[in-house]
Amino acid sequence: MHKTLQETLKTGWIVIGVLAVMTIAEFIVAVAVDDKTMLFALLLIVALLKAWLIIQYFMHFGQLWAHVAEVWDGILSNDPEADREED
Amino acid sequence: MTEHVPQHVNHRFSSLDINRLGLWLFLVSDASFFIALLSSRFFVVGTSTPEHVDQVLGLGLTILLLVSSLSAYKAEAAFEHGDIAGAKRMLLATIGMGIVFVAGVGFEWHEAFKHFPPSTGFGTVLFTLTGVHVTHVVTGVLTLGFVFFRIRNTTEIGDNQFAVEGAVKWWHFVDVAWVFIYPTLYLLK
Repeated sequence: MHKTLQETLKTGWIVIGVLAVMTIAEFIVAVAVDDKTMLFALLLIVALLKAWLIIQYFMHFGQLWAHVAEVWDGILSNDPEADREED
Repeated sequence: MTEHVPQHVNHRFSSLDINRLGLWLFLVSDASFFIALLSSRFFVVGTSTPEHVDQVLGLGLTILLLVSSLSAYKAEAAFEHGDIAGAKRMLLATIGMGIVFVAGVGFEWHEAFKHFPPSTGFGTVLFTLTGVHVTHVVTGVLTLGFVFFRIRNTTEIGDNQFAVEGAVKWWHFVDVAWVFIYPTLYLLK
């Protein structure tokens, strides 16, 4: 089911809000944490979460599987009518 | 008798699906390039970051790129819903923020030359990572500009769907890359 434009934009605002909070959080963590290993681990976790948010919601990663399925079904299809023959 | 050689054109799946799949495969391959560059930071200088790194500029560039991702997202959403004028406005906003980002990196380089030139370990890492990334930003700005000119006089989606979608996805990819570059260059101790 397709979202309305308003619903889609609302999703964008929520995602950017979470990204902004996480960016501020990682900056505070970098200032507050002195242990190098702990800091590396925390920053990596935050970066992975931020990347997942962008990939999932802004880049619509979830829709990729539908495209893969479409192409895969097309490859496996044996329907000769589906192919067009050109001279 | 001439031989009849048929050319089979597969119409069992749309070119849009193939384009999307191809773009994702390209993005994955480009991501591996960034992963290699990011890992080089730890081999060259470990986790240490010089005190002269401009934290305010780094945070500002990060916020700018994140906001530009929102405007790119809004451009794509507006275009898909037939709001071509809104899409064009958001594309221009994204292009503008991209240009400001490039200028910000230029300022960063100007300052970096004083404190850690490319001949130093951290300088090598900083100029390589930001240089490769800003090249991606520039190509993103050019691509978004191309798409803007392509749709500037249109009133309907037509065959421009993948042009907008592909350019916006590329821009988001540039943002994802920076999500990892920012803590790697600015926040580690």
